[in-house]
Amino acid sequence: MSSVRWEDMDTAYDATSLVRGKGHFVDDIRLSNMLHMSVMRSPYARGRILGLKGGMSSADFKGKLASVGEGASPSSALSIEPVFATGFVNYVGQPVAAVFADDRYRSTDLLDSIEVDYEPLKPVVTIDDALNSGPIHSGMNSNVLVEATQGKDFPDPNTPIVLEDILENDRVSTNPIEPRGIVTDYHNGVLNVWISTQSVNSIKTGLVESLGMNPDDVRVMQTDTGGAFGSKGGLYPEYVIAAYASMKYGKPVKWIESRREHLASTNPGRGVRGRVKIFAALNGKIAGMKGEVLVDAGAYGTGSGGFSAQYIGFMMTGPYSIENAFVTGRALLTNKVPQGPYRGAGRPEASYFIERMLDLLADELKMDPADVRLLNMSDKPFESPLGMRIDAARPFFETAVNELEYRREAKLTKGVGLSFFVLVPALYTGESARIIVKGGRVSVWLGGNSHGQGHEVFVKKLVNEELGVPEDIVTLYRGDTKMTMVGEGSWGSRSAMVGGAAVVAACRKLKGDVLREFGNYTADNLLSGSYDEFVNDETRRSINSFGANLATVEIGKMGNVKVKKCIAYYDVGRALNRDMVIGQIQGGMAQGIGQTLHEVLSYNEDGQLITSSISDAGVPLAEDLPNFGVKIAENRSILPHGAKGVGESPTIGVPTALIRAIEKARGKRLRKTPVMPEDLME
Amino acid sequence: MSLVKIKTRINGKAIESEVEPRKLLVHFLREDLGLTGTHVGCDTSNCGACTVLINGRAVKSCTMLAVQADGNEITTIEGISRNGELHPLQKAFLEKHGLQCGYCTPGMLLTSLWLLKKNRNPSEEEIRKNLSGNLCRCTGYQSIVESIKYGAQLMKEKEEEQEMPVR
Repeated sequence: MSSVRWEDMDTAYDATSLVRGKGHFVDDIRLSNMLHMSVMRSPYARGRILGLKGGMSSADFKGKLASVGEGASPSSALSIEPVFATGFVNYVGQPVAAVFADDRYRSTDLLDSIEVDYEPLKPVVTIDDALNSGPIHSGMNSNVLVEATQGKDFPDPNTPIVLEDILENDRVSTNPIEPRGIVTDYHNGVLNVWISTQSVNSIKTGLVESLGMNPDDVRVMQTDTGGAFGSKGGLYPEYVIAAYASMKYGKPVKWIESRREHLASTNPGRGVRGRVKIFAALNGKIAGMKGEVLVDAGAYGTGSGGFSAQYIGFMMTGPYSIENAFVTGRALLTNKVPQGPYRGAGRPEASYFIERMLDLLADELKMDPADVRLLNMSDKPFESPLGMRIDAARPFFETAVNELEYRREAKLTKGVGLSFFVLVPALYTGESARIIVKGGRVSVWLGGNSHGQGHEVFVKKLVNEELGVPEDIVTLYRGDTKMTMVGEGSWGSRSAMVGGAAVVAACRKLKGDVLREFGNYTADNLLSGSYDEFVNDETRRSINSFGANLATVEIGKMGNVKVKKCIAYYDVGRALNRDMVIGQIQGGMAQGIGQTLHEVLSYNEDGQLITSSISDAGVPLAEDLPNFGVKIAENRSILPHGAKGVGESPTIGVPTALIRAIEKARGKRLRKTPVMPEDLME
Repeated sequence: MSLVKIKTRINGKAIESEVEPRKLLVHFLREDLGLTGTHVGCDTSNCGACTVLINGRAVKSCTMLAVQADGNEITTIEGISRNGELHPLQKAFLEKHGLQCGYCTPGMLLTSLWLLKKNRNPSEEEIRKNLSGNLCRCTGYQSIVESIKYGAQLMKEKEEEQEMPVR
């Protein structure tokens, strides 16, 4: 038995409870004897720990952080993050020690009782520092965490046009309005965990590995999750510490992140630089692309830096039919918080690199950017030399140019940008679903957990379609590892596709059960009985979601950019719920504008984080944003219910269209996001 | 730490409490009174997830000490529906998808209630300007703006409905 006393419906996703202020977020949990945890963090980007007194620290627990969740990649032993800093600190915000008290004020007070002596060391802060300095971790030969190539190297084609540029996306904090948080309660030999997460199964796998526990002794339950955008899919040191502390003290433990901790210690996204070279004929046809991708992985291999270096390279020809391509990717260790997935997780970076080059090529040849793009895409499926399968791109793009009224806009407005991309959502490795029918009700659990996308809406619809039962007797419950013993997570624009496909598959198993029992299937037969079906719907197929964006801007004298129009035309497959799809797109467009205009995590030359609030971090306000235009195409996917991915489309397509619009308005080549007003002043 | 006595009226109910002088109002509401609909998002009074109404005006409860609330009337998200029936603005947020994750929602609702009290028929620009102290990371704000416009309409309709029998 778990110790949180929630009624059955309290563990369901329910928008009505949220507007009533009756949600069940992790910080809302109160248990008797619960300890509040506060974390002492490194004030230095790099240093040696000479002495440490007080609190729980590596002297008490020597575990290492497991790498789980989206983009998790096994790391060499030398670059795995310890749960508590051990001997050295390697980023500002790294957990060094933890204290516990019966309320949050008193646990914060207790931080004063910890004494740490540091010998500060010269930090490796930037990508260039990482290339030019000795390794941050002793035992390694360099700061290269991962090096990978995509495609085959080829002799430079003999083309009249050769363009090369260096392009950059600075780091962005994910900044969900609810910070991270966890409650742990070790009780009768079972570690119960309530957590704000995208994946209860990843958290469980991570805790089991980091604590060396038996999987049967860990149960992870999702609370209402107030946004995540990639940052709540994996494991973090605080989760392991809270779990360990609950076992050690025999009391429940709560840890809730502050915003400042979030900025310092939650894996941010982006933080990449690309050197891209394209070879083209005078008519604009690209014969080859060579790229070098450098990812600022941060201090440890437990983030997604290693994965990003390969994944960005894989997608770097975008939706274009470029016959020759070769990309070298390197993830570099720096003394900053480990990099992680942020809405798009490599896709926006790859698209940024190729789209910026297409615009450069258009300018070089004095061609229209739409025409240069058209010339480089195919009306047949194409397998890129980097291994990416691309559907016939031209028919979609031609329609998009019309739907976005690009040609008309380009005549009227100087500051106009157009972008095109292909989103390859994360189908692999599928998803799990469990459906229990009992007492005339249908209860559903998914392996991947909603953090604001409204999974319950598509689940109810699909169950209704498959089983013929009314939507109001169908309930989707929040993630719980007791109900789905395996599962992936909600990321990579995947849930409506793979979660949806798993629900459909589980429904079809239920239908088979009823058929065997009754000889025919009816909803009444189903609801009169008790059934329990679990599906782990593995898939290795690949799906493309094409998208295009248009943006227009005006630039003020002080370099302030006003976004006038921001329009999307996306193929979402079958829209399971049009309103929810539009909501996803609008929200992602706001993040795309944020990344392009003002979102950044800034560090000084000592590796100190100088971004100190959510406002500093540049999260957009209502008055910063235009009314978005959203148009959707519904070309069904190969999945039984026809859905494609959508969640990450806007963070891929908006920055590339918007930076082009700014570039055109100002008449100055732009290479880096965010574009700062000082770059644009008259 | 010595405790200070405070008297407040919260969601229509008189409350007498003893609080630590350093305790923030938001923690008093959430932890002492169990009114967990008021959220903490940023600690720097930027995000507005902690917004409540004090004597009818929107205030960020993370920038105020509980002792400063002494003698005041506070409305939290839990206090805006009547007899279990959703407030028209809550209905509007549900119908127009003014929320995704729901974490900023209570603050958004209370800020917009204050706005609609000052201005029954705000323009889109006025709405966006008035939301400058409330951050949403999910929706891109457009559906929130639509919800507030629709909520204003529902509130007017409800008022007219209530005025009818008098005529």
